[in-house]
Parts: sequence; C-alpha cells; structure tokens
Amino acid sequence: MMPHDAFLILTALEQSGLAAAIRQSMWAYPAANVGHIVALTLFAGSVAIMDARLMGAFAATPPADVVRPARRMAVLGLLLMLLTGSVLFTAEASHVGSNRVFQVKAVLIVLGLSNAVFTGRAVQPLLDSAPAFAPMPRCVRLSASFSLGIWVCVAACGRLIAYF
Amino acid sequence: MLHRLLFGLLLTAASTMSVFAHHGWGSYDASKPITVTGPIETSKYENPHATITVKAADKVWTVTLAPISRMQSRGASAEFVGVGKTVSAYGYPSTVEKDEMRAERINVDGKTVEMR
Repeated sequence: MMPHDAFLILTALEQSGLAAAIRQSMWAYPAANVGHIVALTLFAGSVAIMDARLMGAFAATPPADVVRPARRMAVLGLLLMLLTGSVLFTAEASHVGSNRVFQVKAVLIVLGLSNAVFTGRAVQPLLDSAPAFAPMPRCVRLSASFSLGIWVCVAACGRLIAYF
Repeated sequence: MLHRLLFGLLLTAASTMSVFAHHGWGSYDASKPITVTGPIETSKYENPHATITVKAADKVWTVTLAPISRMQSRGASAEFVGVGKTVSAYGYPSTVEKDEMRAERINVDGKTVEMR
C-alpha cells in the first residue's frame, strides 16, 4: 500500500503525545471534524464562485471584482481545511495514510493546487484589464472547469475514506 | 452552457454525499452477527471510536465501540468498559481487519448500552 519508511513515520506520528491528546480529548476530534466541514463549505463556495466567473458566469461584473475577493476566501478556507484536516489525520495517521481513498485524495489535492497556480498565472493579465462581458480565453475556461471537477472529487474522497 | 452543467453536477454531488454520509459501518458484515463474550484485556477510551480487546472462548477479539462523547452520554464511561470487566458484545465482524468486530450494543454487569 505504501513505502515502509513512510508507514513508520506515520506510525510514529500516531503514537506521539499530540496524537494521543487528540484521541483522548472529548471534544478535539469532533470539533476538528465539524471545523473541517465548515471550512469545506467556505472553500467550495468561494472556489465555485471563482471558477464560475472564469467559465463565463456573472459576466456583468468585471472578472477581477469577483475573482479577487473569492480567492481570498478560498485561501482562508483552504488554510482552515489544512489545519482541521491535520488534527483528524494525526489522530489516525497510519490508518488514514494507508487508506487508498485518502491517497487518491492527496494526489487530487496536489493536482488541484497545481491547477490553481497555473490558472492564477493565466488570469493575472486578464484581472488587470478585462472589463465586464469580456470573453474568457479557452484555456482559462478549461482550467476553471477542471478545478471544479477536481475539488468535487476531493470532497467525495474525503467522505469515502470511512467506507474503504 | 458548460458552466451551468458543471454547476448542476456540483450541486448533485453535494446533495448525494449528504445522503450516505452517516454510516461508517460499510466494512462490517451485518449478515453475520456475532456475540463476543469474555473479560476485557485492554481498553482504549479514545476518539474517533473507543476500542477494547476481549478474550473470548475462541480467540482475542478487537471490539470497536462508539465515539467517547456518545458512550459517556449513554452511561458507558471509561470504567464501565475498563480492563477486567466481563463484557458481552453483539455486533458484526470486519470484512477487512482480522479478529475485529464492531459492536451494535454491549452488556456489562447486566446493563445494555447501544453503540449506534
């Protein structure tokens, strides 16, 4: 399932005092669980608005006025997801890390973030100049739809970890 | 058009996900219920699920219980499932982990507590 060294590192993480404290606390794990879902709604909502604009929706508003504030919220949501996700992961590191669905999720996250960086570069000149109703270039529309697809799959994988 | 389609897909995915969100029982075989009875050898009162090992007649079973806040609110404290207590756990064997089962309910000292 995974390289032996990686498994040993995750086992050490799971046996750490921090991981034990998370598991033994009455509220830490459920709180991180709730926080992860709340952060997901913030992240998914802002990503959806941003990607929808780049795909041509809300065209009456100049792209920069939609994308910039949505991107700030998406980054905030992402940071909260990473924070709460680390708590959930640490508590059961070796089990979650060797879960095939989690591994797929991790790869998809890297893919989604790389796509976001690529899209960010592609839209930068557009954000500085494009007025309302300006048509979006094909590559921007494509990478925005790719982004939506990836993040939906990431969310689905997150839910499905418990079933495999 | 494409963005309307993807938006629809996103909404559909979000709504179906909430339908099958609260199980976590997927990797247990509910068609083969078993009862594991014996003294508790180890007890971990931890999230996301408390677990105990039980020395049954045939072998030592790992028995997965419930989140500790749920157990606590139903009267199954850490002492209730402490080492040395005799437990009878009704539940389903894991289809993944050997000698592991997930308890639907447990009985200790004549008191039954639901785990689901």
